[in-house]
Amino acid sequence: MMESHDETHPRLIEAIELLKSTPRISVADRVMAEVRQLPAHDQGGARRLGRWLTRPHAVTFRLRPAWTLALAAGLAAILLIPAGPPRPLSRPGAAEGIAQFVGHFPGARSVEVVGSFNDWSRGMLHLRDDDHDGIWHAAAVLPAGQHEYMFVVDGERWVTDPLAGRFVDDGFGAGQENSVLIVRPAAQR
Amino acid sequence: MTRRLVVLALIVAAPLAAQQGTPLPAPPRLAGRVPAAALPAIDSLIAAAVAESLPSEPLVQKALEGSAKGVPADRLVNGVRRGLLQLREARILVGRAVPGQPPLEGHVAAVAAALARGLPPAIVERLLTAAPDEPPAPALHAAADLVAHGFNSDSAADLLVEAHSKGLKGVRLLDVAMAADHELQRHGGGTPSDALARVRAMLPNVPPVPPTAVTRRGPKGS
Repeated sequence: MMESHDETHPRLIEAIELLKSTPRISVADRVMAEVRQLPAHDQGGARRLGRWLTRPHAVTFRLRPAWTLALAAGLAAILLIPAGPPRPLSRPGAAEGIAQFVGHFPGARSVEVVGSFNDWSRGMLHLRDDDHDGIWHAAAVLPAGQHEYMFVVDGERWVTDPLAGRFVDDGFGAGQENSVLIVRPAAQR
Repeated sequence: MTRRLVVLALIVAAPLAAQQGTPLPAPPRLAGRVPAAALPAIDSLIAAAVAESLPSEPLVQKALEGSAKGVPADRLVNGVRRGLLQLREARILVGRAVPGQPPLEGHVAAVAAALARGLPPAIVERLLTAAPDEPPAPALHAAADLVAHGFNSDSAADLLVEAHSKGLKGVRLLDVAMAADHELQRHGGGTPSDALARVRAMLPNVPPVPPTAVTRRGPKGS
């Protein structure tokens, strides 16, 4: 449907007049005008900070699902996995002491200590030979008291620690001896 | 997004609730590590120890040790059974040395360890009687150290009882054994009796073992 030029012209003139009569104020101008009307003495820095801290704010995290799961798994691991002995070297508690293990195993690929302090579990306390001179060593914080242990060389050979100074038959009938270690409590040293 | 946060909160909260609320059953320490052929017999030996109020941890450790070493099932069971017999003998000794009190599990375990190291029962009983209210492990280890290094067991017990009467207690008794061994090595031509006499003359001022050099032949925990 088309209107004729004769009907449209007066309407356009009317609209132009209306626009001319309206003051040119943008949305930003109007917001700033509202802000300026707030009482100035309430807006001290400390008070503004206090209000910001006490008012509720919408906080939005945007995480990828993979990161969400990784974060959850990490937190669960920290909460669930107990920090059992032996611990890496740190300051021992009153009922703990530092044990040092040294062995001479030239040519060995790996040496670890397995004993009553780690439920005779493998892979928990490895000795190191950083300078490849055949002397392997490790230190760990252990509970004070008696511990029995052996070295496991290259993952398969069980070896009594000849430097231990204390030994006990392991009781399995093959004449094998465990080394005995007595850890003194740090508090009594 | 909200759903993801809820899932995350649930995942994190579940372990916390498990830690703070009803305790979870203890992890089965033997199942999966001890050979199936040995497990029933070992379970019954441990149950016997518990029923007799003996410490069961040494038996659990022995079972884990044998399993880790790949000991055959029959020898593994025999090793644990031997441990139970030593615990029974240890409890008799503790009961005789400290009458009128129920034997403490820690004392029984320490005495069993000393017997396993070869310390004669009579020496064990004498040392227990000399200090009935103290943890016996240091004195027993000191005596076992001395005997293992060639000292007469009665003379070793004499020295330790005297050291205790002069105020040396706990791990300081290990220093006494260490001093005797040093004296023996330092005077190569001397007899063990001479070495013990020299240490007796030092009492109670035997030198403490340095914190990081504590065995006779190399650095150790003690």
